[in-house]
Amino acid sequence: MREILQYIHKDAFFHRLHPGTKIFLVLAIGIVTLLTLDIPVLCLILLAVLCMALIGRVLREVLQQMALILAMSVIFILITLITMPNGQVLGYLIPGGYLPVTTGALYAGVLLTLRFAILIISFQIFVITTQPRDLVNTLEKIGIPIDYNLMFLIALRFIPTLQIEATKIHEAQLARGYAPGSGFVGRIKSVAPVMVPLVSNALARTTVLGLTIDMRGYRTRKRTPFREEHMNLPDKVVCVVVGLFLIAFLGTIVLTLF
Amino acid sequence: MITLEDVSYTYPRGERQAIAGVSVKIEPGECLFITGPSGAGKTTLCMAAAGILEHEYGGEKSGRIAINGRDVKEYSSLSEIAGHVGMVFDDPEAQLLFTSVEEEILSALERRGLRPQEIEERLASIMEVTHLTLLRERPPHALSGGQKQRLVLATTLALGTDIVILDEPTAELDEHGTESIISVLQELKASGKTIIVTEHKFARFRNLVDQMAVMEGGKIRALGRPGNLISDEFVRGVIFPDFSGIRDGKDTSHSGDRGPLVSVKNLEHAYGEVEALKGVSLDIFPGEFVAIVGENGSGKTTLIKHLIGLLRPTKGTVMVDGKDAGKAPVSDLAHSVGLVFQNPDHMFFADTVAEEVMFGIRNLGIQDPEQVLETVLDSTGLSHAKDLYPRWLSRGERQRLAIACVLAMRPRLIILDEPTTGLDGREAREVMEILRDLRQEGRTIVMVTHSRQIAEECTDRIITIDAGKIQSDIRREG
Repeated sequence: MREILQYIHKDAFFHRLHPGTKIFLVLAIGIVTLLTLDIPVLCLILLAVLCMALIGRVLREVLQQMALILAMSVIFILITLITMPNGQVLGYLIPGGYLPVTTGALYAGVLLTLRFAILIISFQIFVITTQPRDLVNTLEKIGIPIDYNLMFLIALRFIPTLQIEATKIHEAQLARGYAPGSGFVGRIKSVAPVMVPLVSNALARTTVLGLTIDMRGYRTRKRTPFREEHMNLPDKVVCVVVGLFLIAFLGTIVLTLF
Repeated sequence: MITLEDVSYTYPRGERQAIAGVSVKIEPGECLFITGPSGAGKTTLCMAAAGILEHEYGGEKSGRIAINGRDVKEYSSLSEIAGHVGMVFDDPEAQLLFTSVEEEILSALERRGLRPQEIEERLASIMEVTHLTLLRERPPHALSGGQKQRLVLATTLALGTDIVILDEPTAELDEHGTESIISVLQELKASGKTIIVTEHKFARFRNLVDQMAVMEGGKIRALGRPGNLISDEFVRGVIFPDFSGIRDGKDTSHSGDRGPLVSVKNLEHAYGEVEALKGVSLDIFPGEFVAIVGENGSGKTTLIKHLIGLLRPTKGTVMVDGKDAGKAPVSDLAHSVGLVFQNPDHMFFADTVAEEVMFGIRNLGIQDPEQVLETVLDSTGLSHAKDLYPRWLSRGERQRLAIACVLAMRPRLIILDEPTTGLDGREAREVMEILRDLRQEGRTIVMVTHSRQIAEECTDRIITIDAGKIQSDIRREG
């Protein structure tokens, strides 16, 4: 089974970084990505993010997302072609002059695709190289309320469990002679017999989950960390370099405004 | 120490009292064993004793509950009580929040104000007691049922409470998993902890138990030292499952000239690089009642999934009722084979019992649906529940409904995966009686089970699987 967004234990560069450094890095990448309108810059950032995956030894996991990103890009470009015709006409999707392919729409579609690809990949690198416990502790330290941290943690933790359970439920319904067919229509048809048990079982768990959280004292007792994570030299280097880049980038934007 | 005096409780919107006039006293270092049919109030009693009902639930409460001599009402919150009482609920999945064994245990240790040195020592000793040291990096979804249950127990121990309450900790476990939980509990008891445990398997827990409570309909029907209670007929009925008369002695092993209904030849199956089945061959004849036994992970479930096409052979052939189960679509095989999964909650999605049963009938286009519905509900003792919401039924009823859903599809071969999980002796017997009746109708039954007793007392052929191979295949005489 392919696991989505799960921490993978390795001894590599990003695994050793302090979670705070990684949060800063992801935020910086996010800010630049969302503010820039320059496709070559976005391509460079995408390349940089893929290099990060290579250095962090998680390139294989990241490349598994490519199918999703490609599918997304097709959808984005189609939507922009239909809804944002703008600029020079390069040709027509349907021969005879229907659905023009315009440079403006293509530009917008590619821009959206690159932005989403960068955000997805950088977030993924962050999540799969950070122990959830360190993640929660860091978020707690920077002042995010524990309830929200737990929500985030539990959402990540239950992804594989729900995947496994959905498979079991699907098998159980197949064994009852259910043949929804494959492809898109089949998937839509199989929603009720699979989703209803999946969601009911998940909801049935929430009472015990809530009691467990309270009885372990997550929300009431103070935490005394077992291993205090410190900012080491690589953290400081990454923070300074990323910080300088960010300042330079924001500086140029401010300058162009005036 | 926990004392309950005349405690009654009704859940919000509950129709009747979940527990009624319960009084019991558990001394420090003692082990109280609570048993009884599903729906008898065992879990409610645990939650009352842990102070959960008082602090987290509405509903009608009466009576007095004291933990270590102090009334639960005087504690400020559930987290304060949690400094004295640890509770292990029956679903381990819902109690694991983190993504590795070590993180899970640490998350509890780090909230106790210990020094890092102490945390490290306790982490090591807890993992050793619960045999989790080698699994410290494993995520929860890669743990077996027994390992998950041990991890939940380890995390509860990490909270360092004097009192530990466990709700059916071994319900889903095989013999080996059950044994490992019991050995942990034995160490806890030796270290002076007070233990409350609800369970069905009295025989396995016997050496641990100081006091036993047998519940029924929200009341404690019998309470005392096990030695004093064991002669009571009611108690015996609950704690010692009785399967006499299930095997009818009809010899079905040599079914004349009729060929096998199932024929498996040199079946191999690999999940990636893991070989789950390594060359299994067997024939099952019409009218046989076969048990497949073996430890978790031995390949039992992998084998039965091949019989209905949910898994396809890596090598070898599987023929079922004249169809090639290696190629035929599942929906086609479902006409011949019905598979009842271990957890009935993995299949229910309809609003009423009747609709749930009709799902399979419609999928296969069975003739005379209304008549079939009445018949299967009658034969599984669920006629009264026809219009109820499936998830509101008791565990025993839900298991019977899962069987009814499969029966309605009129398969020649019925396969059941652990059909007695989480059931008490009487409920297990009800399930076995249904199977006996089906067999007398001439159907073929294959049942995967952890329970040697059920296999030996109810079936006429026992196939033991170990590490992907058939270790023994024994037909019983009469």
